[in-house]
Amino acid sequence: MTTLTTTAGTDTHCPYCALQCAMRITPAVAPEIPTIEGREFPTNRGGLCRKGWTSASLLGHPGRVTTPLLKGPDGVHRPIEWAQALDLIADQVQRTRRDFGPDAVGVFGGGGLTNEKAYQLGKFTRLALGTSRIDYNGRFCMSSAAAAGNRAFGLDRGLPFPLTDLDTAHTVLLLGSNVAETMPPFVQHLAGVREAGGLIVVDPRRSATANFTADGAGLHLQPVPATDLVLLLGLSHIVIQDGLVDERFIAERTTGYAALARSVSSWWPERVQAITGVPVHLLRETAHRLAEGRTRGGSYILTGRGVEQHVDGTDTATAAINLALLLGLPGSATSGYGTLTGQGNGQGGREHGQKADQLPGYRKITDPAARAHVAKVWGVDASVIPGPGLPAVELLASLGKPDGVRTFFIHGANVAVSAPNASEVLKGLRSLDFLVVCDFVMSETAREADLVLPVLQWAEEEGTMTTLEGRVLRRRAAVTPPAGARSELWIFSELAQRLDAPSTFSPDPETVFTELRAASEGGLSDYSGIDYALLDSGAEAYWPYPKGSRGTPRLFLEAFAHADGRAVLTAVSPAAVSARDALFRGDTLALITGRLLEHYQSGAQTRRVPELAGAAPHAELLIHPLAAAARGILDGAQVTIANDRGTVRCAAKFSTAIRSDTVFLPFHFPQEENANLLTSAATDPISGMPEFKSASVTVTAGALDPAISDSVPAELQEAS
Amino acid sequence: MTLASNHVVIIGYGPVAARLAEELLPSVRQGLLALTIIGEEAAAAYNRVLVADLGVGRTSEEAISVSDPAELEAAGAVVIRGVRVRRVDRARQGVLLEDGVWIPYGKLVFATGARPVVPPLHGLNPDPAAQVPLPRGVIALRDLADAAVLRDAVDRRAHVVVLGGGILGLEAALAARDEGAEVTVVHHGAHTLGRSIDAGAGHTLAAALRARGIQVVSQARAVGVSMAPGANGEASFAALLQENGSAVPGQLLVLSCGVRPRVEVAAGAGLSTNHGILVDHTLASLHDPHVFAIGDCAEIRCLDGNCPECANSTGPLGLIGPGWRQAEWLAAFLTGFSPEALPAERAPVMMLKARGVDVAVAGDVAAGPFDDVPGLAVSLWADPEHGKYVKMNTRGGVLCGFISVGMPRAGAELTLLFERGSELPADRSALLRLNGPDREIVSVPDPARTVCRCAGVTEETITGAVSDGCSSVQEVSAATRAGTGCGGCHGDLKKLIEAHFAPA
Repeated sequence: MTTLTTTAGTDTHCPYCALQCAMRITPAVAPEIPTIEGREFPTNRGGLCRKGWTSASLLGHPGRVTTPLLKGPDGVHRPIEWAQALDLIADQVQRTRRDFGPDAVGVFGGGGLTNEKAYQLGKFTRLALGTSRIDYNGRFCMSSAAAAGNRAFGLDRGLPFPLTDLDTAHTVLLLGSNVAETMPPFVQHLAGVREAGGLIVVDPRRSATANFTADGAGLHLQPVPATDLVLLLGLSHIVIQDGLVDERFIAERTTGYAALARSVSSWWPERVQAITGVPVHLLRETAHRLAEGRTRGGSYILTGRGVEQHVDGTDTATAAINLALLLGLPGSATSGYGTLTGQGNGQGGREHGQKADQLPGYRKITDPAARAHVAKVWGVDASVIPGPGLPAVELLASLGKPDGVRTFFIHGANVAVSAPNASEVLKGLRSLDFLVVCDFVMSETAREADLVLPVLQWAEEEGTMTTLEGRVLRRRAAVTPPAGARSELWIFSELAQRLDAPSTFSPDPETVFTELRAASEGGLSDYSGIDYALLDSGAEAYWPYPKGSRGTPRLFLEAFAHADGRAVLTAVSPAAVSARDALFRGDTLALITGRLLEHYQSGAQTRRVPELAGAAPHAELLIHPLAAAARGILDGAQVTIANDRGTVRCAAKFSTAIRSDTVFLPFHFPQEENANLLTSAATDPISGMPEFKSASVTVTAGALDPAISDSVPAELQEAS
Repeated sequence: MTLASNHVVIIGYGPVAARLAEELLPSVRQGLLALTIIGEEAAAAYNRVLVADLGVGRTSEEAISVSDPAELEAAGAVVIRGVRVRRVDRARQGVLLEDGVWIPYGKLVFATGARPVVPPLHGLNPDPAAQVPLPRGVIALRDLADAAVLRDAVDRRAHVVVLGGGILGLEAALAARDEGAEVTVVHHGAHTLGRSIDAGAGHTLAAALRARGIQVVSQARAVGVSMAPGANGEASFAALLQENGSAVPGQLLVLSCGVRPRVEVAAGAGLSTNHGILVDHTLASLHDPHVFAIGDCAEIRCLDGNCPECANSTGPLGLIGPGWRQAEWLAAFLTGFSPEALPAERAPVMMLKARGVDVAVAGDVAAGPFDDVPGLAVSLWADPEHGKYVKMNTRGGVLCGFISVGMPRAGAELTLLFERGSELPADRSALLRLNGPDREIVSVPDPARTVCRCAGVTEETITGAVSDGCSSVQEVSAATRAGTGCGGCHGDLKKLIEAHFAPA
């Protein structure tokens, strides 16, 4: 049984989202769970959401994995010793490499890992495993916004300004993000704009966030799913036609205006209304309100996964950035564009080398100078570092395939629930020669593993995280971990030794961070001027933070990150009409997916917290009463949601908050309630982001197979 | 001939021609195709849909441009502007320009668009080949020069007379009125948009126009224009004369009497024409596989007398969307792809482009709710006092026609449902309530109701804390965690506290 030490409270941050709310953990004597208090901090101002308040439930949780578990031939996981587990992995890796080449070993990382672990995972993959095959679950969330940010600004930091800048805004256009449920304390920063009547939320659902626009606080635009790009082109059209362009900004700080203006000329408001269903007067009001805000406290455009998780997600994020640039918002101290990073370390996790195409410091793995720099820090020859690997969806699709990955490591991700077209992913996992999953609970993915390695939780280890604003924070050990669990840094260090890896793999977080600083030096996300002592002093460390500087709270004030210092306007256009119409064929509905307040990502953690699981134990399909009536569906009754990828069964929940042609499923639930059985693995050609946010489905009453429900009940047979 | 065989020549440089050129550009850059564009106007292609907006000063020429000749030329295309085509010689596969230049082609595409109809009025020459343009003070609002004339009139707050009660006429009238001109609309039907909407919607719309200060002269028969010396002594438009002897005075006459496909050059080259240049489903002219037509000048009518698509065709739609789709399809075809057959165009939804007057209409809307048309169900809602009118015509539950006046959300949803061919909800009134204040479901008081969603705190818990002595939001938060997340419930907490301490 685990014992938790009794000491004074420790100041740290929440385990969940990228807001990284500050909290204090005070350990208790088992079986009491440690207490959590909100702590004053700019992002959360002492507030926490229900997930944060209950986060300590997982410390000392009875479902905790506390020893390595090896799956036997009977499919049962049994405890083994660490030394045995590590030897087994080393053997397996060497055998796979010998028989099938180094790229038959693959790694999948996560946006919840600390900077140290994300960095070390990338290094371990390239040097110890010698494979190019690494990517991470951030490909499912931030890759489209990241690609768009890089294309437009030459750099991708989710919010290029501190979150508190929003407090005084006159207008905030929030597209595809339900912050009221996903990061509730964020909403405090919208109080000012609501007071000013300028919160504009774009969502096919009248979400909790959209409700915050009621009573004169702003506008809710409710477009048909998958039409965000057209909506944004329409707003840019109005900005240009109505003379709202910041001409001086366009002339002095951007390139590409003329081609962009021509490209949006064909998206007049009535045409946009006919596609999006958003009335013209709301489009106009939005564009003018954004323009007006510039001189009255500031205007901000923020995007979330709702507009980014599409096959045209990069182009949609680009269209949002174009709109912001036309209005002259980016690069100003009082206005801007940003994307709301979701996972706890979704920002830092995409900077230091666990992406297929990337080396630490947001460097490109194909850039010879970047390779030379990192090779020097690692003390190896640059030729040792493999080239680019495969983005997540392709990587997962390659599992168990000829020339694909045969031995696979998963860290901080639950792909069996979170990946699109989940049933295909499960098939892939089951066809591997060997699957190693590092987790602290038996997630749905861990259950598939040949070997489960128990790792540490957030409050059990030291490290750093980078928030959605690009601020680097210290996360601290507050309680003693269970005896059998180990840090991933220790695991990498042990395995590297067994695999005769070049370079060094320290198990100590601070040593790894010091190396990360050197590896990131001179890169886009330069951490070289940050150290633990600085962070412990409470300094606001926003990257880039080169040695000798004081960091960068606000980016782009002088110049954008392209060589000429200008932002790039890139003309984008939507796919042909037929692709959108494919959502609505016959009696199909558009399925959108998203999060509930009570749960986080695949739910592997939050479904194990009694208070959260009790409040939202099962998936419910949100459906408009009109759509339900047409299908004979009753409120609370079981329904079957299906398409050619899979079938989900759950209860229906009536809501007039959703369009009557659209239904909503949360994606936190496993097995037959898993929304990702229905989502498509089609990806954005630029970012590799899958199409999570719109799928065409049929919804029928009852949970039975259609074949069974078609059979005529006996009493009716008699009557006929 | 090898040079000419891969040479695509486009006659016309409007928005449809520009889209075709843009789509062909990658092949031009790679040297797979040669491309020449011949435009009669000196200006590069612009978005004609926005000419009225330009005419009232709401936008600029730069902002409505849709093509950059420099970009086309940089890719290797030849762009000829401000020159008419004299004739096409199909036997020799060449185009002769007015200035004597001869351009051989491998493939020829007509994208000549349409020209406005000049009605037979005394004082106007309706001949499209007329060398003398419309008299001073009379425009058809089709090109940049027309827009400039309107702009001048609007700036002077002049009296603008619009002849024609169709959608383009109303758009011009509303825009000019909004920007300060005095406006009279003269049309010959009982109500404006006569061809598209029914009498009820017509009444509702007429009231909306009157409320905007637009004078409407209905049932009018215009017979001529009278001219008078203007400020600089030149004769200029002074009044529109009606058959009944009355005159509508004004300083500018805007003709909005429809458009007619420009087919003269094609007809002169011996190609078959009806309303437009006749083409088959691959947009190729009926008897010459080297010649194509797209956009407003093209009429799809194949040689198969039993073709169901062509049987229902009423000629070119005069809308930009179908033209762009044709341009995209033809580009794929000309660059060697075999694209899927061009889908038949659905009946268009017409939307009035005007600020504050919402009209959307599509399909067959003539029948009323009590006209016994077999298979047709009509539901109707009229609220003329508030300028609202909605009609939904369905066959088998599927929307086959609708009108929406003054109901922006309903109009937007009906547009989507019509284009998808979706069934309407059995309760048609659901569509009317989208704008209504009752769309929020009002919850009845429920002590188990969650007040603070972030922390999951119920009303009971909060009132309990208040009974235990908490008297401020801060104290309630400290005791229950309510209000410690997003802070959105602070107002509710305050109300519960106040309710507790309010005198009974």
